[in-house]
Amino acid sequence: MIEESGSRWAAGRKAAAVGRIAFRHQLAYKTDFAMRGFFLLFILFVFIQLWSAAYGGDYELVISGFTLKQIVWYLVFTEALTMAAPPLCSRIEEEVKNGDVAIRLIRPQSYVGYHFSVFASEALTRFAVHLLVGSAIAWPFVGPPAFGIGWLGLLALSVGALTVTFLLLMLVGLCAFWVEETSGLYFVLQKLQFTIGGMLLPIDLMPEWLQRICAWLPFQAALYYPAKMAVHFDAALLGRQLAIQIGWIVLLALAVSQMYRRGVTKLHVNGG
Amino acid sequence: MLALQTRKLGKSFRVKRKAAGLSGSFRALWKPTWETKEAVRGIDLDVRQGETVAFLGPNGAGKSTTIKMLTGILHPSYGEAEVLGLTPWKERERLAFRIGTVFGQKSQLWYHLPPIDTFELIGRIYELKRSDYGHRRDDLIERFELGPYLHTPVRKLSLGERMRCEIAASFLHRPQLLFMDEPTIGLDAVVKQRIRELIRERNREEGTTVFLTSHDAGDVESLCSRAVVIHHGGVLIDEPVERMKREVLSRKLVTLKLAEGFDAATLPDIEGACWESRGGNCRLAVDLKLTTIERVLGQLLGRVGFTDVNVEDPPLEEIIKHIYGMREGAER
Repeated sequence: MIEESGSRWAAGRKAAAVGRIAFRHQLAYKTDFAMRGFFLLFILFVFIQLWSAAYGGDYELVISGFTLKQIVWYLVFTEALTMAAPPLCSRIEEEVKNGDVAIRLIRPQSYVGYHFSVFASEALTRFAVHLLVGSAIAWPFVGPPAFGIGWLGLLALSVGALTVTFLLLMLVGLCAFWVEETSGLYFVLQKLQFTIGGMLLPIDLMPEWLQRICAWLPFQAALYYPAKMAVHFDAALLGRQLAIQIGWIVLLALAVSQMYRRGVTKLHVNGG
Repeated sequence: MLALQTRKLGKSFRVKRKAAGLSGSFRALWKPTWETKEAVRGIDLDVRQGETVAFLGPNGAGKSTTIKMLTGILHPSYGEAEVLGLTPWKERERLAFRIGTVFGQKSQLWYHLPPIDTFELIGRIYELKRSDYGHRRDDLIERFELGPYLHTPVRKLSLGERMRCEIAASFLHRPQLLFMDEPTIGLDAVVKQRIRELIRERNREEGTTVFLTSHDAGDVESLCSRAVVIHHGGVLIDEPVERMKREVLSRKLVTLKLAEGFDAATLPDIEGACWESRGGNCRLAVDLKLTTIERVLGQLLGRVGFTDVNVEDPPLEEIIKHIYGMREGAER
């Protein structure tokens, strides 16, 4: 006795069910949470020292539109988003290498959809935890995150940002259907996110020619947009950035879909 | 009515060849050489609904690859297949509602969570109505006797307990056709027997077609009515298990651990059997067409000093080699 199948509602219910179980499953990795939290504290401490030195400890000084407080909180938001993403590429690579991809493909559910549910569940939980951990260090050093409506901007753009991140990681992860080894590609993607994605440095602080290049790439939609919107809310820009995120999501989703369709025909499932 | 049908179904892979050593690795970087490996070559197969088929062959014969093509996981290189009227690799998600799959070496249960959570997820994924899911789950829990470990995290379960949960999970959505790839691998004799009984019961009561690969002759004998043996990617034999039993499963192996002081050179001749090895642990191959285990053991008692005895089926690899040898002999 199977309910109406294949409908969007059914797909949504399945996605929610996978998300729920993935949420419960990750609660088992308490040490992992603690380690990442500690690392985040350490990284942010180093950056706070660096930026404090760059600003000469002047809380009123504005560099490229950012005060010291804004830049530190900007870093908290970009770090929280970056570290929220679970290791999707290595998971897919492992699934292909040890043959567990077979378990995913015997289910009446989209392979990409399954991974999106797990990713969303884990990433949203981690993002919330990282925001709390990041706040614990940024608040005492540069003051409370009194960004008002900026928080709404952060949340509105973070959903799209994590979706763009998922799709970029999926594109790299799906390469495992052909090459079985994606760590090199993932390394490149990660470094692009760190630099031209605006994780370490807001794009506004980069040379203009580089800013023009960044505008044509999806990386800023995954980190820079939400973090900048949080510390510098701009209602007109919010609509534009949401539209750009949707554009990238559509484009990348099409690329992922095409890549999956081709990759699944090439797949060689290892093991008995 | 047919549950599955294949025509000239085949799968080949390109495998990179690399010479040994560092120079070989460098050569492979600049000038890789590829070799095409035929994992499955043109299999023709018809399985009727409700049948229990053993799909056998030595390691690397193409059993798992065939199952993966029939479940839609792999795309074939050539040939056709229809499973429950659907083309597996084109209609994978639709087919998934109607088939079940058990991979003995892979787990579908969430490692850190109790099995009941995976059951709940499967109920949702297969879009079972809530009331139906509840009844079905409770029925399977009772039949598979899962109650005591249903709320224990999977990582804490023994292999046998886990496999019972895996198989019960595969039956949750009432599959019409169940593919099982080595479902009893690594299990002890008691658990194996229990799992076989449970699968047989589902076949009898729900008419589930069973398509099974195994290296265990016991699985074949107690579960299947028909055996298909493949070798080098092609079908070597396709006949009822009863006939196969008469022809090639008519051997048992008796292993004796000789008592200290008993001279292996003095082992007596046993009617209908021959010694395959003579040592501390000696092995006697018994031909059941000529004698019975009871008679053989009767002849051994009192004439041979031993501290332990074990009666078992010959390994399936040996049986297949035997069949292969018979066929090659007949062709010559």
